[in-house]
Amino acid sequence: MDNQSFSYVNELLKAINGTGDTRLVIEKFLAVLRREFVFDNVATYLQDAETGTLEIVYARAVGRAKNAEADAAWGEDIANQVLSKKQLLIREPESVSESEDRVHQAYLLGLPMHADGILNGALVFVRFGGPAYTEQHVTVATLGAALLSVLFERRAWRKMNDEMGKLQQQIQLQEDFVSTISHELRTPLGFIKGYSTSLLREDASWDAETQHEFLTIIDEEADRLSLLIENVLESARLQSKTLPLRFQPLRLDAVIRDVATRIRVRHKGLDVRLELQAPANIQADGVRIAQVFENLFTNAVKYAPGSAVIVGLKQAGHLLVVTFTDHGPGIPAESLPLIFERFYRLRTENATGTGLGLYICKQIIEAHRGKIRAESTPGQGTTFFIELPINQLTIT
Amino acid sequence: MAKRILIVDDEPRYLRLLEANLRTEGYEVVTASDGLQAVDVFTNQPIDLVLMDVMMPKLDGFGATQRIREFSNTPIIILTAKGDEQDRVRGLDLGADDYLVKPFSATELLARVRAVLRRAQPTAEVGGQSRFFTHGSLKIDFARAEVWKGETAISLSATEYRLLLQFAHHVGKIMSSEDLLTSVWGPEYRTDKEILWVSIARLRQKLEDDAHSPIHIVTRSGLGYLMPPIED
Repeated sequence: MDNQSFSYVNELLKAINGTGDTRLVIEKFLAVLRREFVFDNVATYLQDAETGTLEIVYARAVGRAKNAEADAAWGEDIANQVLSKKQLLIREPESVSESEDRVHQAYLLGLPMHADGILNGALVFVRFGGPAYTEQHVTVATLGAALLSVLFERRAWRKMNDEMGKLQQQIQLQEDFVSTISHELRTPLGFIKGYSTSLLREDASWDAETQHEFLTIIDEEADRLSLLIENVLESARLQSKTLPLRFQPLRLDAVIRDVATRIRVRHKGLDVRLELQAPANIQADGVRIAQVFENLFTNAVKYAPGSAVIVGLKQAGHLLVVTFTDHGPGIPAESLPLIFERFYRLRTENATGTGLGLYICKQIIEAHRGKIRAESTPGQGTTFFIELPINQLTIT
Repeated sequence: MAKRILIVDDEPRYLRLLEANLRTEGYEVVTASDGLQAVDVFTNQPIDLVLMDVMMPKLDGFGATQRIREFSNTPIIILTAKGDEQDRVRGLDLGADDYLVKPFSATELLARVRAVLRRAQPTAEVGGQSRFFTHGSLKIDFARAEVWKGETAISLSATEYRLLLQFAHHVGKIMSSEDLLTSVWGPEYRTDKEILWVSIARLRQKLEDDAHSPIHIVTRSGLGYLMPPIED
């Protein structure tokens, strides 16, 4: 190969390996190809994987038929023939008349295209009014068809790869969920089974204190199991939006007072301080919002035992901001971004839970177009912030 | 003397459950709440049996089992909520002696502990097995999966480390390329000699003073490779 041919092939390779939009890559490639191989129209037909019929995937008029639009020859027939005869084909006009419009004198070259060694399409070049294709032209065009085949194949692979990736991600999420849920359900079940069979052992006698301890654990784990099932169902309904929210005008400060009263009854001695500055009305589902507040109170009791719980309410622009502050041990920085994740649970000595409480809170607040987040300083305490838009008339 | 059992679980309630039951049988109990801690506790005292949970932070139960197996034959029973056949096989392949799926009954657990302890050879700890391995200036800490050359820590890829362990576990024995490829890469690589050559060359670059006249990993032409015994 002489130097000139070598650098031409090199240019072709560079163009076909271009990145970005497929059309632009093809265009640049054809521009290079056209330096040694002139044509007026070019069309690429690829076989549809499902129906087997030829689909036009790329067509371009660069020469004499630029303005002839659909009237000009685009070589569909020859493309079909290339595919059925499985070989390169040339069609030239039988008689050439000077008077006839050159657009009606089409010189066609049809070249097979392959993907992974299998014939799957045809590349057709059209010259209007000649010249006829020489052996050298055909060689260059064949190289062009081979390179274009590689390009289409590569793009098809990439597309398939992307789709597979997305699909896999979905399957993974689903599998993770199923495996987490079965693990989460098995954990309390394991305690119930383990501690009850311990008490049933005939070869061991447990003192009264240990018996009580074991029975308490069995009782708590049975509660946890039933709460877990309830929560899983509820969060699934929230997720699929089949849990209907009943929006009605609500005084948020009144809801907070109600929940605080209930919590004080349940946890005697709990120091609850209310700093409610904004009696603003809001459109919300009172039962669900109360559930969020109750959850935050319960978390404070669980994770910040002995600490006061300070609940604030104030208006900031078009938002109502509710804060729950405790002075407990705080949440470690590495756990903070994870606490609203499904099944994430802070492992502490005494606290039990399903790992769904805050996840459900987040789902409820988001269903109200609000936001929930937490700030925490280890050793000093934690504050949860809930922001709810005051004007929620748009919620349906 | 009472047998000492190490129980490893990140759920305090499992630790309590196992500990309470084991103590009624007269066992001594030590605990760890993740895989790394388990390996640490294990290396600091004689342990007769390990009860190992799988899903744990830092290093999971499979990882800890593998780490302990690098230098010890102490029986390990894996306890886990993962009951898939694949997981059971993996645990056993890594060297666990038995496998108990949660939820389990206290009586069954104790029966398995007795059975495994009965089968265990009391001489398991003898036979030159220890946490550390030395070969000249080369030192391996099996428990931490660390390799040292004198005072310098050597960073090895997972494959290189596994390859090195093959030599360390068989000092003085010539190992054929096929054996090494099968045990480090898997049977499907049995004939893929070139990757072994490249890996051994890389290991020598990292471990030997002079990679061209190696003392740790020596070639026996036509036979294979070995780590020759070094006399102190």
